[in-house]
Amino acid sequence: MLSLSVNGDIKQTDAEPFTPLVDVLRDLGLKGTKIGCASGECGACTVIVDDRAVCACLMPVGRVGARNVETIEGVGTVASPHPLQKALHEHGAFQCGFCTPGVVMSLLALLRAHPSPSDTQVRSALQGNVCRCSGYQKLLAAVAQYSGQSPSKL
Amino acid sequence: MAANVHRRVGQPVPLADGLEKVTGSAVYTHDFELPDMTHAAVVRSPWPHAEILEVDIAMALEAPGVRAIVSGFHDVERAFLNYGPAFADRYPLARDRVRFVGEEVAAVAADTLAQAKAAAKLIEVRYRPLPAAMTVHDALAKGAPNIHLRENLPPNVAQVSRAEFGDVDAAFESAHLVLDDVFEHGLVAPVCMETNGAVASFNAATNEIDIWAPTQAPFFVRKEIAHILGLERDQVRVRSVVIGGGFGGKSQCPEPIGIAALLSMKAQRPVKLTLSRREEFVSGKTDHGKQMRVRSAFAEDGTVLARHTEFLVDNGAYTHMGPAYISAVRQRTCNLYRVGAAGFDGKLVHTNKVSGGSYRGMGAPQIIWAIESQVEQAARALGKDSLAYRLEIANQPGDETPLGWKIGTCALAECLAEAGRRIGWEPHRRARKPNRGIGFAAMINPSVGVLYPEGNFANVSLQLTAQGRLLLGTQAADAGTGQNTILAQMASEMMGCDEALIDVVHMDTQLAPDDLGSAASRVTFVTGAAAVDAGTRFITELKSRLGERWGVSPDEVALDDGWVHCRGDNARRLSLETVFELEGDLRVIGRHEIDLPRPDPKTGYGHYAATYGFGAQAVEVEVDPSTGHVRVLKVVVVQDIGRVINPLTLEGQMHGGIVQGIGMALNEEVVMDHGQPVNATMVNYRVPRITETPSIQCHFIETDDPTGPLGAKAGGEHSINPTVGAIANAITDATGLYLKSLPMTPQKILTALGEGSPQKLARKPWKRPFNAEIATVRALYPSTVFPLAKKLGAKFSKGRKQVERFDFKVATSVQQALDLLNPDEGRAMVAAGGTDLYVGTRQGIYAPTRVVDINAIDCLQSIDVGPNETRIGAGVTLSRIIEHDALRERHPSLHEGVSLIATTQVRNVATLVGDLCQEKRCWFFRSAFPCYKFGGMTCPCYAVIGDNRHHSIKGARRCAAPCVADAAPILNALDAAVQIEGPAGSRVVPLSAFYTWSGETVVGPGELVSAVTIPRPAAPVTEVFEKYAQWRGDFAEASVAIRLQWRGAEVSEARVAFGGVSPLPERCAQVERALVSGPLSNDAVRHAAEQGVHGALPLRDNENKVALLVNLTERAALRALGLRTT
Repeated sequence: MLSLSVNGDIKQTDAEPFTPLVDVLRDLGLKGTKIGCASGECGACTVIVDDRAVCACLMPVGRVGARNVETIEGVGTVASPHPLQKALHEHGAFQCGFCTPGVVMSLLALLRAHPSPSDTQVRSALQGNVCRCSGYQKLLAAVAQYSGQSPSKL
Repeated sequence: MAANVHRRVGQPVPLADGLEKVTGSAVYTHDFELPDMTHAAVVRSPWPHAEILEVDIAMALEAPGVRAIVSGFHDVERAFLNYGPAFADRYPLARDRVRFVGEEVAAVAADTLAQAKAAAKLIEVRYRPLPAAMTVHDALAKGAPNIHLRENLPPNVAQVSRAEFGDVDAAFESAHLVLDDVFEHGLVAPVCMETNGAVASFNAATNEIDIWAPTQAPFFVRKEIAHILGLERDQVRVRSVVIGGGFGGKSQCPEPIGIAALLSMKAQRPVKLTLSRREEFVSGKTDHGKQMRVRSAFAEDGTVLARHTEFLVDNGAYTHMGPAYISAVRQRTCNLYRVGAAGFDGKLVHTNKVSGGSYRGMGAPQIIWAIESQVEQAARALGKDSLAYRLEIANQPGDETPLGWKIGTCALAECLAEAGRRIGWEPHRRARKPNRGIGFAAMINPSVGVLYPEGNFANVSLQLTAQGRLLLGTQAADAGTGQNTILAQMASEMMGCDEALIDVVHMDTQLAPDDLGSAASRVTFVTGAAAVDAGTRFITELKSRLGERWGVSPDEVALDDGWVHCRGDNARRLSLETVFELEGDLRVIGRHEIDLPRPDPKTGYGHYAATYGFGAQAVEVEVDPSTGHVRVLKVVVVQDIGRVINPLTLEGQMHGGIVQGIGMALNEEVVMDHGQPVNATMVNYRVPRITETPSIQCHFIETDDPTGPLGAKAGGEHSINPTVGAIANAITDATGLYLKSLPMTPQKILTALGEGSPQKLARKPWKRPFNAEIATVRALYPSTVFPLAKKLGAKFSKGRKQVERFDFKVATSVQQALDLLNPDEGRAMVAAGGTDLYVGTRQGIYAPTRVVDINAIDCLQSIDVGPNETRIGAGVTLSRIIEHDALRERHPSLHEGVSLIATTQVRNVATLVGDLCQEKRCWFFRSAFPCYKFGGMTCPCYAVIGDNRHHSIKGARRCAAPCVADAAPILNALDAAVQIEGPAGSRVVPLSAFYTWSGETVVGPGELVSAVTIPRPAAPVTEVFEKYAQWRGDFAEASVAIRLQWRGAEVSEARVAFGGVSPLPERCAQVERALVSGPLSNDAVRHAAEQGVHGALPLRDNENKVALLVNLTERAALRALGLRTT
C-alpha cells in the first residue's frame, strides 16, 4: 500500500510503484487528469508536483513519495471555479476541453513562479500542451487578461 | 430579419458546458464507467495485406479474467454499410483477409485492462502475407495486388467520376495561357486529443444496447450497430457524453464502437474500449491522400476559360467516406472564382492503408491550394496584381457556376479586399522586406448541401421540465465546436428568453429526435434552423396555452427570465415550474429539411445547397533561407458568414481551423513506410503547438442570408479551406518557389532553394575513396542487401519484448544504487527523469526487470560552478539547469541548448545525463521494426531504403540513426567529461569517448553515470549552440555547438561539434582548423562552415541536411565570433 498526498489529502493506493501516476489518479476517481498520448508528448495529463508541472504519465507513482500532487480537482469547481478557470471559460479559450485540465495545471505552475508572465513565457509554459481545437489564440488572450488584472489571485 | 431584432444571437456566449470542462468534471468516454464493466483490447494486423489462415483463441479464452473474445474469423457476419450495400466492404473485425497494418482482427473483453491486453497477446493469428499496394500508382499498376474488385471497374478502383460542363477542349484551344500542374499530398490525421473509444452495454433481457461513445453522428452509429448486431434501430440507444474533438475523425460509426458492441453482446456485460494514441494513428481515419492534375485555361485578360482536373483519391483499404470525398473534391474544382467550362476525371482507388475519413474540409483545403497556386501563377504570368486579379475573377451574387450552383448572397470580393487591407498588402508591395511574403486564397463552401441518401434533415426537441427549465434535445453531437450553445441561443432568440434557461442534451437517441449529426459544417445551418423552428413552436404553444388560461390573446403572453407573464398585468405571472405543474407536458419538435433535389449522383451537377459560404484569407510568412523554415507571422481571415450567431465560438472555429491548416500546409503527414505509419506519435506527427501559432485576426461580413436560420451561413470547416493555399502563395511571394507537394516542409523548401555551394560539395561524395564502400553497399541495398537481411532477420532476430511490470526501487545512496543495479537475475536500469526509459519500456525498447530511481540520492542533485570546473549531478533536471544563474553565466551555450530540449513538463523531470543517455530516435527503431540495432546482426537498416529524412548524413554505417541528444555536441564542444560509478569504482570518460553509437554509451551493466564535469577554460571563450528542429523542443534535424578560445583578438582554439547529422556527436577538425586559420572574413567563415560536410554521404531524403548543417555552422560561427567583438 502506497500513500500519496493529492490536493492536500492523503490517499491510499494498492497500485504497484511502477504504475504511472496518471493511472493511479484516475483509479482514485480523479478523472479530470486526461490521457492523450501516455508518452509525455501532449500534456493532457499535466499535474503539479512540488510546484512544477509534470506529465503524470511519465512519473511512476513510486517516485512521488511524500511530495504533494495537485490535480485539476483541487483547483476549482463548477460552482466555484478558480478565477483563471473563469477567465479561460469566458474567453472561449477551449473547445472540446480534453486538453484543458492539463493547460490549467501548466498555467497555474507558471503563474505561481511568474504572476505576470510575458507572452514568451506563456508560450514556453504551454508548449507541451497540445490543443487541437482552439488555435491557442483565445488562450493567450485569456491569460493576458487574467494575469494583467489579477496577479494576486493565485 | 433586421439586425436590431436579435437579442441573444450575436452575443459572445461561452460554452454551456465550459465550466465542467475547465474544472475537469466533464465526463468523456474515457472517464465513463458502469458497474461490472469489462475492458477490451484489440488484436491488430501487423501486415498491410495478408490472408488470415487461422485465429486461435483457445489459450486466450483460458486466461484470467477473460469474459469474451470476438474475431472476424469466428463471429462476424455483417459488414459496415456506410454507403449502402454497394460499398459495404469492411467487417467490424477482419474475416479472411487483412488489408492494412492496424486492422482489427480480434478483440478480448476481460475484467481488467491488463488482463485483456495479456489475453490479446495469447491470441495466435496465422497469416499468409500478400503483396501490398501502398500508393494509388501501385494499386493501378498492371499486375497490382487485388485489394478489392468491383463490378464493371478495374481492380482496386472503388468509384469513377467523370464529367464535363461546357466545351472544355475549345476553351483550352483558344487559351492565351495554359497551366498544367500535378499537385499531391499524403495522409493527414485529425489527432483529436481524445482518442476514439466506446462503452457498450448490451441488455440480454430487453435485447437492447446502450452506447456511450465519441461520435459526431449517433444517427449513423445506430444504423450501423443495429445492422452489425442484427437488432432493430430502436434497440440501439446512443447516450450523451462529452466529446474530445471530432474534426471528422469521429464521423459516421468508428470501428471501436462496433467492436465494443459485439463484445458486450457476447460477454453480456458492459465493455469499454479506448484506443491508445498509437492505435488511433494506425487505425483512426485520416484525410484521403490525393494526386491532382489541374489544367487551367486563361484568356489574355485573365478570364478563366476552363479548368480540367484529374484526381486520384486514396481510398485506403476500405470505403468509409471515399464517395462523399470524391463529390466534395469535384465540387471544389470549378466553383471557386468564375470559371467558364469545367471537367474532371476522378478515381477513388484502394490501397493497403487505413481507410480515408472526412477530416475537416473534406479535401477542399488541398484542391483550393492547387487552384489558388495556379491563380497566383496566372497573375504573375499575366502581369497582374495577386489581389486585384482575384477581385476580377471573384464569384458574384447571381452567378451560376459550371456545376450548376446558383450563387445567392456572396461577399467574396469584399472579403478579399478587406483581407488585403488588413494584412497590409499595399505597404508590403511598396516596400518588401527580405524573406517575407504575403499570400491570398479564397474559399467557397455549400451551406449546406444535400449530403446523404437519407436526405438532409434535422430535428430538435424543446420541452419544459418539472424544474421549470427548458430542455433542448439534439442528436447532433457537439464535439467541442460549441454547437450546443449556439442551438440554445437560436431557440432562445425565438422565445425572447435567455439561453441560460435552456439545458441542451445532445446525442441521446432516446431523449432527442433524429438528426444526421455533426459533419460538413451543417449544424448551425440545418440543425440551427430546426432549433429556430422548435423555439418558434414552443413559444407559440406556451403563449396559446397561457393565453387560454388567462383569457387573453396569446400576443399578450411573454416569457422572460424563467417567468411567464401577461404584458401589463403584474398579477398574471407564473414561474416555469408552476407552468409545468399547471400545464403538464409541453414538448415540441422543430424540423428543418433542405428542400432541394440531390445533385446528379454521377456528375455532381446541380444547385444542391440553399446558399454558399465565402471567405478569404491573407497570410504573411517569413522564410528562413538557411533552414527552409516557414514562420507564419500573421493570418487574416475575412468570412462572409451570413450572420454571426456567437462571435466567441465562431472565432474559435476560425482560429482552430486555421491552425490545423497551418499544420496541413507545413508539417502534418502520416509517413507510411514498409506498409505502416512510422511517425505514429505526437512528437513525430507534428501538430502545431502554441509556440508556432501566429496572430490571427478575424473579421466577419454579415450578408444576412435569406435561406439561413436568422440569416446565418455555415462556418465550421470554412476556416481551414483557404489556409494552405494562402500559405503556399505567401511562400511563393517570399521566395519565388512554386511547391506542388504538401506538406511544404523545411526539407522541401531548403532543397528547392538550392543553396548552391554546399549542395555541390556533397553531390558526388562517393567518388571519394572514403565513402566508396558505404556507397556500394547502399547501392546494393534495395536489390540485394535489404531483402536478404530481412529474410535472415525474420529467421534469427530477437523479438521485441515488452515488459508489463518491473521492480521499482528507490536508492538513497550511490552505493545502494550500485547494489540494486546488480540483481541476481534480469536487467536493472537507472532512472532519473525516466522520460525516455518509461516511454521506451512501453514501446518495447527497454525491457528492464528492475528500475533503480536515483532521484533521492542527495549528492547527485547538486550543481557546482567551481573555480576550476563545473559539476552537474545526474539527478539535476533540465529546468534547474536553465534556472541556475551562475551556470548560465559560465556556460551560456549549455543554457541555450537545454532550454531548447522538449517541453516544460519534460524539462521539469528530465535530466542532463538522461538527455545524453537516451536511446536513438530513429522512427523505424521506435516503431518496432526488426532492424539491425534491435534485432541484431542479421537484420537490415530500414533507413537506408525507407523514409530517411531525419537520419544521418555523415558517419552512418550499418545504422543511420543520428545523435539527437542536444547536450552531447554542446558538452563535447565544452570539453566535458562524464563520471561513471561502477562496482569496480569510479571512472571519468571524456564526452568525446562516451558514445559507441547513437544512443549507445560506454556505461556498462551495473554502472551509473553520477555527474557531468566541464573544465573552466584557461583563456577567455565564446560559445554558442545553434539547433534546427521543426518545432521548438523537437529533436534536432541538425545542431552545431561551437566554443572559441581567444588569445587577444584571435581565435586560439576552436571546438566544433555536430548533433543530429551523424550517429556520434563528433567534433569536426576541418571546421575547427579553418576557424583558427587567421583573420576571418564572412567568406572565410562560410568556407570554414562548408568544411563540415566534407565526406558527407546523405541518404535519399535528407540531402537538405547538408545545406542545413553548413548554414547552421556558419550562423553559429558568426555568432561566436561576434560575441567576442561585442
